[in-house]
Amino acid sequence: MSDFKTMHAKDLQKTSAQQRVVLVGVKVVTYLFLFTMALIIIFPFYWMIISSLKEMDEYRRSIPTLFPQILDFANYAEVFTSENLLLGRLFYNTLLVGVVSTALSLVITVLSAFAFARLEFKGKNALFAALLATMMIPGELFTITNYQTVSTFGWKETYTVLIVPFLVSVFYIYLLRQNFLQIPNELYLAAKVDGTSDLKYLWKVMIPLALPTIISITILKMMGSWNSYMWPRLVANDDAHRLITNGLRTAFTDAEGVTDVPVQMAAVAVVSAPLFLVFIFLRKYIMKGVSRSGIKG
Amino acid sequence: MKKIISLLLAAVMLIGMMGILAGCNQGGNKVAPDFVMPEGGLDTTNEITITFYHSMGKNLTAILETAIADFNKIYPNIFIEHKYIGNYDAVRDQIKTEISVGDQPNLAYCYPDHVALYNVAGAVQTLDVLINDPTYGFTAEQIADFVPAYYNEGKSLGDGKMYTLPISKSTEVLYYNKTFFEANSLTVPTTWEEMEAVCKQIKTIDSTCIPLGYDSEANWFITMCEQYGSEYTSTDGENFRFDNETNRNFVKKFQEWYAQKLVTTGELCGGYTSDLFKGSDKNGTRSYMCIGSTGGATYQQPTQTNGVFEFEVGITSIPQVNPENPKVISQGPSVCIFKNADPQEVLASWLFAKFLTTDINFQAGFSMSNGYAPVIQSIQENEVYANFLSSYSTANIQAYAVKVAVEQSNAYFVSPAFNGSSDAREQVGLLMQRCIALTGSDLDSAIKKAFEEAVAECKYQAGQ
Amino acid sequence: MVDSKHQWKAWLYLAPAIVLLLIFTVWPIFNTVRMSLLEGYTTMKDVAGVSFNFGIGNFKNVLEYHGFITCLKNTILLCVLTVPISTFLALLIAVALNSIKPLQRFLQTVFFLPYVTNSIAIGMVFAAMFNMIIGGGVRPDSVGIVNNVLEAFGFDYVNWMNVGSEYWANIVVMVVYIVWNALPFKILILLGGLQSVNKQYYEAARVDSTPRWRVFTKITIPLLSPMLAYVIITGFIGGFKEYSSIVGIFGEKMGPVGQQYSLDTMVGFIYRAIGNNEGRASAAALILFGIIFVVTMINLYVSKKKTHY
Repeated sequence: MSDFKTMHAKDLQKTSAQQRVVLVGVKVVTYLFLFTMALIIIFPFYWMIISSLKEMDEYRRSIPTLFPQILDFANYAEVFTSENLLLGRLFYNTLLVGVVSTALSLVITVLSAFAFARLEFKGKNALFAALLATMMIPGELFTITNYQTVSTFGWKETYTVLIVPFLVSVFYIYLLRQNFLQIPNELYLAAKVDGTSDLKYLWKVMIPLALPTIISITILKMMGSWNSYMWPRLVANDDAHRLITNGLRTAFTDAEGVTDVPVQMAAVAVVSAPLFLVFIFLRKYIMKGVSRSGIKG
Repeated sequence: MKKIISLLLAAVMLIGMMGILAGCNQGGNKVAPDFVMPEGGLDTTNEITITFYHSMGKNLTAILETAIADFNKIYPNIFIEHKYIGNYDAVRDQIKTEISVGDQPNLAYCYPDHVALYNVAGAVQTLDVLINDPTYGFTAEQIADFVPAYYNEGKSLGDGKMYTLPISKSTEVLYYNKTFFEANSLTVPTTWEEMEAVCKQIKTIDSTCIPLGYDSEANWFITMCEQYGSEYTSTDGENFRFDNETNRNFVKKFQEWYAQKLVTTGELCGGYTSDLFKGSDKNGTRSYMCIGSTGGATYQQPTQTNGVFEFEVGITSIPQVNPENPKVISQGPSVCIFKNADPQEVLASWLFAKFLTTDINFQAGFSMSNGYAPVIQSIQENEVYANFLSSYSTANIQAYAVKVAVEQSNAYFVSPAFNGSSDAREQVGLLMQRCIALTGSDLDSAIKKAFEEAVAECKYQAGQ
Repeated sequence: MVDSKHQWKAWLYLAPAIVLLLIFTVWPIFNTVRMSLLEGYTTMKDVAGVSFNFGIGNFKNVLEYHGFITCLKNTILLCVLTVPISTFLALLIAVALNSIKPLQRFLQTVFFLPYVTNSIAIGMVFAAMFNMIIGGGVRPDSVGIVNNVLEAFGFDYVNWMNVGSEYWANIVVMVVYIVWNALPFKILILLGGLQSVNKQYYEAARVDSTPRWRVFTKITIPLLSPMLAYVIITGFIGGFKEYSSIVGIFGEKMGPVGQQYSLDTMVGFIYRAIGNNEGRASAAALILFGIIFVVTMINLYVSKKKTHY
């Protein structure tokens, strides 16, 4: 990164005044563009927060208010005190399922992507294409069959049923393979000449180089666990194993099916907070990963 | 590339072949046998665990748990595992999937069309043998105590058999702004003609208002069919019979009302009709009457300032075509029992269902907490409940709504249930919206087309 | 390169993925094919022991549906509009983000925020932005934030999604929403790709004082091509499966009031069929699979030619 900056400074000295104006202009346009997009992108998040601070009456108003007239923190109090929402248990379950399934999923994804990107074997292309093809059928149809399968295995209402069926994601394998393909094959061949084992090479070279992508996958998988809804509701909707999204969707709905959205939003904000912190932490990691990826040549 | 494609095609064909082979090998009958009363009756020594799926939200679950405790005083060896699944549709979807592996619960909250669906698999236990059992069944007095229309909903599958028991029922009532009506000496309408006249009168007082809001388009259509005595659906022969002259005419009449801004519906107003009624939006359009569920009474309650309601609410029956023969819709949960290989579980389930539907405390507690009407009539002799009903006011709006619901118990009707009846309900709701919102010159043919398409869609969805 | 030891290793690495896919993906697909070939199959009837005729009746049944063309048209239209727009915007944002230094961390976090925003909230905010409250007067009670902005610039307000709205307006709302939804993921992937791109290419270009657009088209795009191929191909696959976003805006009835199901899609059709007719749902899913398959093959073919590794 610092190299980049000095280059930049030297360049600036060389450029004429006119070019400098253009450069400044480009910067201004870039920032303007980014800020506009950021505003648009952030709006739902803002909405979630202000909704969580509205009273039910204000929330249900037909013309929505852009800022709550009365800031109602009682919604947050209800989230933490509600007997309908065993927040601690939900957190524990979601965290357990999220961490275990992300870890296992990463191992499987890295190994498969490595095989597809670096190893040669018969039927590789056909297998890869077949994997892609599985993404093309709407997965909703699998639910009934998978339900029957896990029932046969006796997995209902266990953590296993929440973790195992969705460990493999063709999306992630594909994504990581694409990334691995960018790493020059020469490195691999050189490593083999040195007698480095595949796994060691994978661990020492491939993973550090593809770290940003691997972190992206981690985030996506974590989010997936956090947001999964249909499957957990079907197979493990008991107090001991219920995950956070199911807990949230049902805890604040009355018998008429009317949901107390402000409280629900407050709950969503509360459970999103850890994810948000995790992201901030990981974002630094992405930077590190990038600065470490110093292959020259 | 060519190689990949040909290999893939080969794989697809292979899977197809396997599918064809599997097609020949079809699954056998997985249905549990019909219930036969076990010798010696209920086993009172061993533990019997039964599961109950429901949609009871926060406060109702507490009432259910009290009821279970009371039930266990009589039957200490029967354990009830109850589970909140989600709304009614969620319960249906869950059970439908579970039936495919034979994992369904013992009892569940249901609507008649859910039972029709489960019954395709033959998974529902008919109740007649249990109802008529001298030891465990209902007495004649108990049957007579039920509101007849609620009890007969159990037979809505049309084969003469009882499939469900009613738990608690809601209906539609007319909420009106009593303060406004009294200030302008308006009369509360009892027929649809009077309704039209009152709406036009209101429009002269407040020109930007929409006098009436009707929450549910589907309920409106079905109720009008019933009030006119015209056909809607049937369990024998042709299922979908709502495309007829009478129905097209009332839809056209309401289209005119909508065009004159006399009426709006839940979907058409793009918000909640109850919000127009209670005037939560100070600058927004108001309405002075609202037809909605008794279960949603609290949403009709006007906003308070310093403990004073903005206006007084009046509640009465909805307008009728023929006030001599009133018809109002009945909705709300029933309970059904699933077949099970263990007759003890079925018997225990029956006893629990019987307890829920006849226990005064549960029935009263359920009704007082959410504005649904109890299904047994003797409950009105209960002091606590009678006090609840007589406490009706704008502040106790739920009691008010239930009071009106209880008073019109002779007027309830239930639509036939069959596999596809929920499609009919959905389609007539959409049809109502579509037709009411029509504009242009050739309304008649547009309405005719809309009706034809709705029937066609019903038939397609039902696989006919 | 291809020696037997390597073959053995490759399969070993792939084993966990393959085993799980066989159980939880291939087997259900196989079951889907089975159900699609049993005419009028439903699980409820199957449980009751009804036997079904073997044939292509379900496929015929799907193709004969009076709304089938609507489903197909909406699906293709949304896909063709949203994938290029969202990919292009995401690329611009990712490149812009990568080119700045101050505030980069902050903006990166902002662009990630939708990921921790619950989907319920995102649907609701859109409804609120475009929704019009009709009311009893001549002018609607509320025209929505988007229309307020339009009016501020001197345009007429548009009925985007309410009673009597026009098809193109509905499509505009859907495109904006879908693009919005798709952006964070694509930005994340493309930025990840950009940051692992070797900086030396850029330094070389800078020394040569290559014009920016040339750097963009000749260096950035080729270096990013595997990631771009990924987001485009998965974008198309996801686009053909569009469903939940439409439900998010227009509700389960998939269309404005009075014109329900006018925005129905293939997956929307499949969803409704799962409820009461699994044979039909399976047939429709396989038809959709066929379409996506062809499109993906075309995509792969093109990307193979254009992708630079």
